[in-house]
Amino acid sequence: MPRFSSPSVPPLSPTGRSFLTAASASVRRSSPPPLASVRSHPALAKCIFTSFNSDLFDQVISECNEHSLQLQSLIRKIEEQNLDMQTTRNEDHFGAVIHHLSLVRNKRCLMAYMYNRAEIIQGLRWKVGPVLPQEMQEKVNYLEEEYFKDHSAAIESYMSEMDLDLTVDMVPPKDPYIQVRVLDDIGEVCLDDHSISLAKHSLHFLRRTDAEPFISQGLMEEFLE
Amino acid sequence: MPGYYDMDDILMEDEPISVVFQVGAHGCGLLDPGSETNDIEKGTKMDLPYWLAHQLHLRQAVSISVPASFSQKTKKEIQADAACVDLKGRCPYFYELGCKIAPLVGDKTIGTFLLYAFTDRYKEILSKSHSGPAVPRISSRLTKEESQLFEAARSSMAAFKKWRTGGSRLEKASILGRKRKRTIPLGPSSP
Repeated sequence: MPRFSSPSVPPLSPTGRSFLTAASASVRRSSPPPLASVRSHPALAKCIFTSFNSDLFDQVISECNEHSLQLQSLIRKIEEQNLDMQTTRNEDHFGAVIHHLSLVRNKRCLMAYMYNRAEIIQGLRWKVGPVLPQEMQEKVNYLEEEYFKDHSAAIESYMSEMDLDLTVDMVPPKDPYIQVRVLDDIGEVCLDDHSISLAKHSLHFLRRTDAEPFISQGLMEEFLE
Repeated sequence: MPGYYDMDDILMEDEPISVVFQVGAHGCGLLDPGSETNDIEKGTKMDLPYWLAHQLHLRQAVSISVPASFSQKTKKEIQADAACVDLKGRCPYFYELGCKIAPLVGDKTIGTFLLYAFTDRYKEILSKSHSGPAVPRISSRLTKEESQLFEAARSSMAAFKKWRTGGSRLEKASILGRKRKRTIPLGPSSP
């Protein structure tokens, strides 16, 4: 059996580090409670989201398979010598322990990577609305996209049951209307009961609740004199 | 207690610790690329990541020595002028690792040393973080925890100023690319 090349262990040291550094750069500590402060939470304000690193992910998994094979062969060796598995503390035992710990570590790294990405994706529903913007679409993998859709659907069904839009700004506005400048050609949009043409650089006076999703998607900005 | 999914905790546990094997281990030559066999001999000295060193230490398979980050030399430097020491270069998770390593190596002085270093540097971090939008040089010397403090101080100051001048509440979601000029000065992006 080929020995691992040195970068594979200390398991995940070289590979896993860059993997997780990338992941951790994309995640700042805890994610905020979904409602209270989604828009302004500093933890999310800075995060950088990168594409799913499936190459490295697969590499770690194949490393796990290798560890598992080695672990099994060491255990077989102990069994062949007719030693008691529970009490034996020989070289084979410690070798097996090291492979076992490496597996546990790799598992934790992979789980944390998935979990932290999932949290960000969950947060997206609150920040940019039910449709993933193009630039995020490119960065999530298929399963993550499904997760986003399902999560989004769950929130939507809850909100329609409550008959309440939970994604609007938490601070009551001073004025229900807001003046906005359109930053991109959005085209004809049906708001409330009339349709309106949102051309680039035009100024509009809209209801705040109508304007909010466009602003968070970066298509409009609040126009301040 | 850090959670299972805590990225910072995971990265912290990757810090190398120098250990001496008290037992032999078969089939682990990969840990020691220089060895000719696939086994580790008793008495082998090597650097292992904390997560492995710690678990093996619990099983009395290795002995751990105090990492260089907590050596006498570092202690002297910290005592001379704590704020000037580049702790990030030594160990980005200086305090977290210190807390975990102290009970393992049985060095009672590490605890007080960490506290001293932290309180002494804290003043400097706080005053520098409020000193305008330019990124002061100190930020490249801060550990992960310290730079989080630093960022927190900066962003709360920026938020306060924005609130006072009555800036817009609604903004483009920060996770999307920033094409326009940023309104809030952000600190250095930590690695």
